[in-house]
Amino acid sequence: MDTFSIALTFVIFFGSLILIFWEKVNRIIVAVCGSVAMLVAGKLLGFYDEELAIEAIDFNTLGLLLGMMILVAMLEPTGFFEYLAVLAARASKGKPVRLFVLLGIVTTVLAMFLDNVTTVVLIAPVTILISEILGVSPLPYLMTEALLSNVGGVATLIGDPPNVLIGSAAGFSFNDFLVYSLPIVFFSWVGAIFLLKQLFKKELSKRPRRSKAVMKLSPAESLNQPVIARRILIVLGAAILLFFVHHLLHVEPSLIALGAAAVSLLWVQPDIQEVLKKVEWSVLVFFGSLFIMVGGLEHSGALEMIVKLFEGASGMHPVLFGVLVIWIVAALSAVVDNVPITIALIPVIEGLGNAGMDIAPLWWALAFGAGFGGSGTIIGSSANIIVATLSEKTRTPITSAIWIKRGLPVMIVTCAIASILYVLAYPLF
Amino acid sequence: MNVTTCMKRNVVSIPASTSIREAAAIFVKKHIGLLPVVDKNDKPVGVIGIRDLLKLEMPDFVNFVMDVDFVHDFGAVEDTRPPAATLKKPVRSLMRPVITVEEDCGLLRAYSLMLQQNLHDIPVVSKDGKLIGIASRVDIGVTILKAWEKVD
Repeated sequence: MDTFSIALTFVIFFGSLILIFWEKVNRIIVAVCGSVAMLVAGKLLGFYDEELAIEAIDFNTLGLLLGMMILVAMLEPTGFFEYLAVLAARASKGKPVRLFVLLGIVTTVLAMFLDNVTTVVLIAPVTILISEILGVSPLPYLMTEALLSNVGGVATLIGDPPNVLIGSAAGFSFNDFLVYSLPIVFFSWVGAIFLLKQLFKKELSKRPRRSKAVMKLSPAESLNQPVIARRILIVLGAAILLFFVHHLLHVEPSLIALGAAAVSLLWVQPDIQEVLKKVEWSVLVFFGSLFIMVGGLEHSGALEMIVKLFEGASGMHPVLFGVLVIWIVAALSAVVDNVPITIALIPVIEGLGNAGMDIAPLWWALAFGAGFGGSGTIIGSSANIIVATLSEKTRTPITSAIWIKRGLPVMIVTCAIASILYVLAYPLF
Repeated sequence: MNVTTCMKRNVVSIPASTSIREAAAIFVKKHIGLLPVVDKNDKPVGVIGIRDLLKLEMPDFVNFVMDVDFVHDFGAVEDTRPPAATLKKPVRSLMRPVITVEEDCGLLRAYSLMLQQNLHDIPVVSKDGKLIGIASRVDIGVTILKAWEKVD
């Protein structure tokens, strides 16, 4: 093992992470440059090459993300998301607490199966509309949607990019997530919504000035393309059913997602350029670049060193170690993107497994930490950034200080609930 | 024919120090859609239209939701008023850059400029840049149409 290679790969990887955190240079540009630097260093020093880099990319993750992105890109213009938000508004009859819970449920359920960012991007504008019509501040609703989408995404294999990564690396099935993650997420979610209701007590107790106006919102008219929406939802439903049994069929989730995308493309025959424009290629490039960087860390022997460091800590009680992983990963995810953290920690956990540690519970600890940690700060998750950016164009902008007061408690409470349940359920993992 | 043949000569204009509240009162009193803002030499320095004032009252959601067909009632938004502090501000803070035509500008040229720039009224200035009139799309349009009567 060459110390110089190890040091160099460390510098490239952590230098990139710092640049991503610093936010002066776009994170995707940083990742592309970092991965190229890693590859050049590897070629010069002889520990890494193009073939190994391609091997390092987890195409299962990329395929699953791409498939779901295409489905969502097609579902977006149909008005289905607005339709659900309008239904929630009508069902609330203009009562703030009821509206708060209903919008929270809609966002969570969508975030469990679809991309959080898309969910929030489409629900948040309608939320601003509903609250303006009612004459109340949109702030509590917007923040709650972002926070609950972070929490809800942890529940399923396809809910959140870190879960896709963890599922793919650990070989967890869709059902594994429903059995091990969903119950813990459920209790954390309940904790989060009760806490948020308390934190926004003042805003939510204000009586709306025109509560009857929401009853004049027409859900049918917000659903612009009902036929297309129905077709995509049928395909999406079938895909979710297949996710339940994918491990029995020996089919990777990526094939199901890409298959669903293919079937709905054929059934709907949309303008393919428009659909592909909406796919977030930058995210896929970001993932690919991070995989290549972490592959460099692995082949230079740097990861082995980190694993040895952790082994020192493995004298620690395994349950305590797991809880510690939840909180450390959560704290990191609150300030940096949780994707690079997850991609970097996956080989570390695999290394600990090779060293003889029982790592099944650690995967779940990583999932909870990466998912719940995003709630902690305004930049913790993409959903947070989106509602904050949208709110800047309204009369009640969400500031970093507001987020610390209302979002950080949610992160702490969800992590605490997850930790308690993790300890109680440890023997079952 | 040029734009002076159809423009209104008794044009109402305001200095940049006028408050938004005062400007709103002038729109109401004169029943007009656009107020040229002029300096002390009567040279246009900007314009303020009814739509610039109404923007203050528009709900935030119209910036985010492209299609508002499904919203049959704007609810509480209908009775919101801009805060007093906003109304006290001078029109300088709200006015847009002015696009003018000179007095010898042809009718079709003036009309096409208005189409391209999405203007409903266009201030007319003299050779030395002083405001001398204002013409609307209707003023210019009907003057052009008049010529059609002579076609056999």
